[in-house]
Amino acid sequence: MTYDDQVIKLSNISKRYEMGGEQFYALRDINLHITRNDYVAIIGPSGSGKSTLMNILGCLDIPSSGEYLLDDQPVASMDEAELAKIRNQSVGFIFQSFNLLPRATVLANVMQPLVYRMLPTSERQNMAKQALQRVGLADKLGHFPNQLSGGQRQRVAIARALVTKPAILLGDEPTGNLDSKTTQDIMKLFDELHREGHTIVLVTHEQEIADHCQRVIRLVDGKVAKDSRNDAAQRERLHV
Amino acid sequence: MFSGLHAAIEGTRAALASIRAHAMRSALTTLGIVIGVAAVITVVAVMEGLSSSIDAQLDDLGSDMVTLRATTSQEQAMLGFSNKLSYDDFLVLKAKVKDVEDMSASMQAFSFGSTVSYGRETIQTQVIGTDSGYQKVIKVFPQQGRFIRSTDDDRRRRVVFIGESARKKLKLPDNPIGEFISLSGEWFRIIGVAEERGSLFGFDQDNYIIAPFSTMASLAGARVTENIDILFRPAAGADLDNVQTQIRQILRKRHHLSGDDKDDFEFITAKKTKESFAKVTTSVTLVAGGVVGISLLVGGIGVMNIMLVSVTERTREIGINKALGATPNFIMLQFLVEALVLSLFGGIIGLLLGWGLAVFISMLMPSMPGALVPGWAIALSFGFTTAIGVIFGLMPAVKAAKLNPIDALRYE
Ligand SMILES: Nc1ncnc2c1ncn2[C@@H]1O[C@H](COP(=O)(O)OP(=O)(O)OP(=O)(O)O)[C@@H](O)[C@H]1O
Ligand SMILES: [Mg+2]
Repeated sequence: MTYDDQVIKLSNISKRYEMGGEQFYALRDINLHITRNDYVAIIGPSGSGKSTLMNILGCLDIPSSGEYLLDDQPVASMDEAELAKIRNQSVGFIFQSFNLLPRATVLANVMQPLVYRMLPTSERQNMAKQALQRVGLADKLGHFPNQLSGGQRQRVAIARALVTKPAILLGDEPTGNLDSKTTQDIMKLFDELHREGHTIVLVTHEQEIADHCQRVIRLVDGKVAKDSRNDAAQRERLHV
Repeated sequence: MFSGLHAAIEGTRAALASIRAHAMRSALTTLGIVIGVAAVITVVAVMEGLSSSIDAQLDDLGSDMVTLRATTSQEQAMLGFSNKLSYDDFLVLKAKVKDVEDMSASMQAFSFGSTVSYGRETIQTQVIGTDSGYQKVIKVFPQQGRFIRSTDDDRRRRVVFIGESARKKLKLPDNPIGEFISLSGEWFRIIGVAEERGSLFGFDQDNYIIAPFSTMASLAGARVTENIDILFRPAAGADLDNVQTQIRQILRKRHHLSGDDKDDFEFITAKKTKESFAKVTTSVTLVAGGVVGISLLVGGIGVMNIMLVSVTERTREIGINKALGATPNFIMLQFLVEALVLSLFGGIIGLLLGWGLAVFISMLMPSMPGALVPGWAIALSFGFTTAIGVIFGLMPAVKAAKLNPIDALRYE
């Protein structure tokens, strides 16, 4: 493993919130390197800072201190337009709360990231349809988010993160609302994407999914409490 | 990665979708602009229509005719004086002034219009006492019979030449020559009917009765010194300024005006009438412009208000779009386009409404030939609404563009 293979490098990352004059650390001195094409699970109790960390990884939030190098580029030095480009091209983000556009159809929601690329509409549609096919929602193109079940909405959010074929896929509890059958289907999809070379980071509460990944990072009170690798044999057993 | 054009197209698409989603609200938002633009178009169209028809009619009247009339200053009026031009003034001018083709004295017989009757019909009309020269100066031609001749004047004949609407109002026969009408109790014989002139400024120009000057003067009795108007036409090729100077010198001497006294008379030319009318239209247009400017300002603030509401309402949506890769410029352009589309939409509706209103008004006013919407008014309206869209859309658009993605996503 060469140094250059570290697609994500966090050094001494902290995230502080000012609450009624008191300082609260959602993240405290996180040092974390993630290798290209790694398959990482982030676990930890509620409120331990998992989403906060993911938002920083996805360039949606800025740390209070510390340095974040994405592909060896310091994120702190980028302006909003450059960050927008990264969000659009390098990172696919699946939100814990889906964050679908309520007034847009399923198809339009999945096409939305492609609006910010100069692609003809027909190509955007094809790409979005393919992504929806992969999450098993090819028959719901014209529905609006409020006409879908929680699990279906989650899959739209996944399709939207996939549609740009991002090098890094960040999922904040992407299977939180899915039954075990759909969860297995989605995990298969992540496995596929992993094999295709994507770097995957998933936040999860489920031990099964954590065991399924190559690396498990446990956060407690904003700190890395445990960072371990699953052995291949164990993963093989779980692998359907 | 994005060209501005791409962002503009996508921004327009997003803007139209959002306007459609809030059709009612969008319509109400643009109301201020609709009213503003409709008002400017209506006023301009009506004023333009009016002034073009007036210009045409004034030209028709003969632009070289000059009316000389006594003026009384405000101070004099307050002291109870009123300046006059007398028949003697007229006779002196007629004898002495050179380079004048025709000169005629005209007397407004009774200042408030007079009661004229035929059979059982009684009407109020304008009675003018004048001489034969009047016909040439004012270019009034008989459609039947003849105009007043100098012999009528010399012999104080009781004859009248009448306008077409006076004839109609009195219910005189189609050919009224030889009929008698009663003018303040005296009988006059009709000798001619004038060609119709139509109306000017909405006033009927055919409701008048002309009698010989001397006849009227004798009827007026003690009022022979009654104020008169003197009408003349400078000879072809003559310098009007020179003619006016001659008249001024004679009259000032006759009226015993010393060096620094003001003239107690004035020259009224068609050009002057046109100019003073142009002044009126300009000031009406300016006042209307001010009112319209204010209403457009209010309309613009309405657009800004709704755009600010829209930005707040769509904070989460903006956050999502930013998370998906929308640049600040893209978001800004989208909201700017939305404001622009809203205000242009209001501009187009306002234009159509104003045009319709102007046409309607011109139909109600028979003397108006038709409303004219000049190109500059259309261009101005669109320029203005575009400017409003940009100016008042900028602040909300910048606000949207500046939103921090994670804060916007957390916004409830
Ligand atoms: N904007 C904020 N202002 C103040 N405190 C915040 C803010 N965002 C997050 N926090 C705090 O930071 C801590 C970590 O929050 P975070 O959302 O990262 O937790 P999490 O690990 O994702 O929890 P869960 O498993 O419930 O999703 C929480 O205690 C939360 O209250
Ligand atoms: Mg969370």
